[in-house]
Amino acid sequence: MITRKIQYQMAKRAVGPFLMALDRWQSAQKSRKRKPRETPFGPPLQSVQKLKEIMTLNYFEGRYADGAVPVAWVTSGFPAEVFFALGFHVVYPENHAALCSTRHKVPEIAEFAERDGLSRDVCSYARTDIGSVISGKTPVGRLPKPDMIACCTNICQTVLYWYRNLAEYLNVPLVLVDTPFMYGGTREHHLDYVSAQLGEVIEAAERISGRRMDAEKLARVVENARDGSRLWGECLAISQARPAPWTGIDTFFHIAPIVTIRGTETCNEYYRMLKDELTERVKAGVGGIKNEKHRLLWDNLPIWFKVREHSTMTAERGFNFVCATYSNAWAEAGDLIDPSHPLESAAKTYTYVYLNRDLDNRLKTTVDLAKSFGVDGAVLHSDRSCKPYSVGQVDVKERLQKDMNIRVLLLEADHADERSLSGEQAEMRLLAFMENFND
Amino acid sequence: MTECVSIGIDVGSTTWKAVAVDSKGNILASIVEEAEPLIDRQTERALAELKAQVKAGDGVRIGATGYGRKRVRADLVLTEITCHARGAFHLTGKGGVLIDIGGQDTKIIKIGNNGDVLDFSMNDKCAAGTGRFLEVILKRLRVPFDEVALRFNKAVNSIPVSNTCTVFAESEVVSLVAEGKEIDEIVKGLHQSLASRVASLAGDIPPDSEIFMSGGVALNESMVKSLVDRTGRRIRVLNSPQLIGALGAALAAR
Amino acid sequence: MRKEYIDRQKREFGRKVVISLPIHYPKEILTALDVLCVELWGPPGEISGNQAGRIQTYVCPVVRKALAFIAGGHASEADALLFPHTCDSIQGLASLLPDFGGWNGPVLRFIHPKGERRASSEVYLVREIEAFIAQVETLTGKKLEPARLSSAVKLHAEIDALKLRILKLRRNIDMRDSELYAILRRGEWLWPEDHMAELKELASKISDKPQKKGVALMLSGIVPEPMDIFDVLENAGAFIVADDYAAIGRRISSSSAELPDNPLQAVIERYFALPPCSTRSSDLAGRVEYLTGLYSQNGAAGLVLHNVKFCEPEMFDVAMIKKRFAAMNSPVLYVETELEKQLSGQLSTRLEAFVEMASKGGESE
Repeated sequence: MITRKIQYQMAKRAVGPFLMALDRWQSAQKSRKRKPRETPFGPPLQSVQKLKEIMTLNYFEGRYADGAVPVAWVTSGFPAEVFFALGFHVVYPENHAALCSTRHKVPEIAEFAERDGLSRDVCSYARTDIGSVISGKTPVGRLPKPDMIACCTNICQTVLYWYRNLAEYLNVPLVLVDTPFMYGGTREHHLDYVSAQLGEVIEAAERISGRRMDAEKLARVVENARDGSRLWGECLAISQARPAPWTGIDTFFHIAPIVTIRGTETCNEYYRMLKDELTERVKAGVGGIKNEKHRLLWDNLPIWFKVREHSTMTAERGFNFVCATYSNAWAEAGDLIDPSHPLESAAKTYTYVYLNRDLDNRLKTTVDLAKSFGVDGAVLHSDRSCKPYSVGQVDVKERLQKDMNIRVLLLEADHADERSLSGEQAEMRLLAFMENFND
Repeated sequence: MTECVSIGIDVGSTTWKAVAVDSKGNILASIVEEAEPLIDRQTERALAELKAQVKAGDGVRIGATGYGRKRVRADLVLTEITCHARGAFHLTGKGGVLIDIGGQDTKIIKIGNNGDVLDFSMNDKCAAGTGRFLEVILKRLRVPFDEVALRFNKAVNSIPVSNTCTVFAESEVVSLVAEGKEIDEIVKGLHQSLASRVASLAGDIPPDSEIFMSGGVALNESMVKSLVDRTGRRIRVLNSPQLIGALGAALAAR
Repeated sequence: MRKEYIDRQKREFGRKVVISLPIHYPKEILTALDVLCVELWGPPGEISGNQAGRIQTYVCPVVRKALAFIAGGHASEADALLFPHTCDSIQGLASLLPDFGGWNGPVLRFIHPKGERRASSEVYLVREIEAFIAQVETLTGKKLEPARLSSAVKLHAEIDALKLRILKLRRNIDMRDSELYAILRRGEWLWPEDHMAELKELASKISDKPQKKGVALMLSGIVPEPMDIFDVLENAGAFIVADDYAAIGRRISSSSAELPDNPLQAVIERYFALPPCSTRSSDLAGRVEYLTGLYSQNGAAGLVLHNVKFCEPEMFDVAMIKKRFAAMNSPVLYVETELEKQLSGQLSTRLEAFVEMASKGGESE
């Protein structure tokens, strides 16, 4: 136990940072030798190096976390502030699965879950993470074994089906925050239910970790989370400028801190830095892509394994995804969080989540984004793996076309599993869509 | 010639097969034909031929299997799964895992040490992972069956065919050819893709169980080789692999 | 026939009609307020009309067919739609139809708590049912009287007790499974008292010794559709001995013995006493335990998991169920159907092969 703690602290404070510094030095060496490649993108964001460091260090620390500090695996929409306040190391399986997908590891890892009887028709994130638990395979070295797993149904019910399986495979307790779906407004007893469950979660986390919740610390984490969410929103809003200083595809990667280390100072520090850089770029007229001719909105999760190809393909033709409902979802909470009433405001914040609300509201948010970012087209990713995000898109498409008079493409793919996609077909549809625009 | 006691008919989607056996289960004669649309008429004619060959009397029992099993007159009707297991067990005398790749279905059958079916899995209703998949794509590539092995062995590299859907795969292959990719390498990749699909259908095969193969596709040595490479295991192709189902039906009807 | 029945219910008894999506909702409340509930599982067969195209083909057919049916104007006899919060797809439909067109009438919603029974979910369920009562009161313009709720609770508890008895002693009923299920499934649209009368008649056919021979199977899944699955199995020499369909067995509350006097509390107790169900996200280990218990108590020799294609909640439980049954050396077959009219030949073959396997190669002539 003690040696494990020392190992963890070493990884966190010495070895990790050293490796990062080494990596920084190596890439500087490389880029000095390499002639810059011709790309359709603007100069790369300087913040990327920092982002890479934060995320790599987070996963690196994680390798040594179990046994040293309590560990929780949580869903991306879970009020993880309670875990950060109790000093847990927090792992986000969704983020991990997305990472597996960008490294093209999903087919190989998900197959372990499929062999156990998990259908290819269920969410590819779930298959990937369960496959990773079964096989131990992961591109991040090792994931720490959790002391508990925590699930919030505000992004989908699927996470609960998935975590019920994780609880069995890992043999750890599962805590749940069940957020009743919002049709129109919310109801008092729905919010009371969520608050009561948060109380139950804290109790369980205290019991499992043997630690006591410090109210002041919780308030501080919640305040950070609020600020972080606002900062993230500000970074996104900067893309209302023309040309947008970064791409929507960039946001899919820069979203990682607000999802996975929300509530920490590191997270907010990062977004301050990013915000400054983006503001500078706008001043200097530097765009995310070199020649921004058309501005697009992206709906639904990214197609992680194709993000780079699609991004290049569109950038080459002067198209930039300047906003995305997906990235925006983590910026919406900023105004609902109230550090002086952490539980009550968390109940509200985590219930008023984009995917936990009816289609009318979703259409409205999408239209607002389309308007404020001045887009002239939208790509709705019809995601085989994500039913809640995809049901309704056919109508949303029609409404956007009619009400907004913009071009809309419904692109069927999957957020993580490259096997369920005819790559060429998707590319062809995207190309044909772009050919429709008059320059 | 010993006396024929029973005949098994396997009415498949691409071929019609029948086997006549004696009381010990030895094969006395067999027929393999392309399947005709009118199953009952084909069965009547071909069965008469087979009966004449082995001089079968009226007491000969008939077992039927295959997807058209219910459309022929028989004393006993059993599914292909049970019949393949029976046939394979009769030839090998031991349990194991049988991979049967037919025209329309691919089946993985776990056979117990007494010949019982312990478990089985089958491909979904589409043609991905079946003999038909291979047939369609090879035809598209204009590669006749007797050239397959030669081309497969000649190819140094392989180009994977990633689409699981037969229709999509066909267009994928067309564009690979258009891009100027080597036919031999596509042929090799095609077999490997199919092998990988079959292997994932098979799941984990315990290291101590033997693997057998039956069905028409077992005659394709490139396919067998791809499966061996993919599973890293020895695979024993049963004698007259396309007759195993009919043999099982004949044995069951004895 | 169903349409005529519904019309008569409205005309003769002045009942309101609610069309409900699957699966779990407090039917006692509807009965007590004189509302006939008609459940929408299909209809089986090809999806007709272009409305179904509003939801992607990788979404389950229950939802796509419901959309085509309702938005196609076939639900006109309903005074309201009811959407229980069963899954993400039904949740989407519950918003799609009123928000984007296809249904302009009133909509009732019941968002049941997910997961295990907890202090928080008990409190919530009481209040959610109160909110549901308020919705139905608004629809009917009637006030819920405790005495009427009490008798509705009693009626539904009796129906459940009778169904349990029938399912338990089904071996002793000389009737094809397809006929038995047809009667059980009429509860999806009959007025509860009429359903009760049919069940009583069915129960009177229970004899004192087994009437069934062959391979005893347990079936688990969402809904027994297409119904010819029973004939395929029976013709292959099997019969059904235990049921875990969400449409049937998983909706029979077993707490009929001692219910609290407060009728609302009784509804809550009945709800929490339902067998484990994937769509309520019951504890997975608990569900597997329940299934193995049901299997062995009824002497089943094989388990068929019969799922609706793309039903995500149900698909997620399959791996653990398979694992556990494999450890008991009990054969399991997983099949998917799409509310088609008839089973495909390939699927029939799989079921038949499974019966042959479960009977250890017993011949079917």
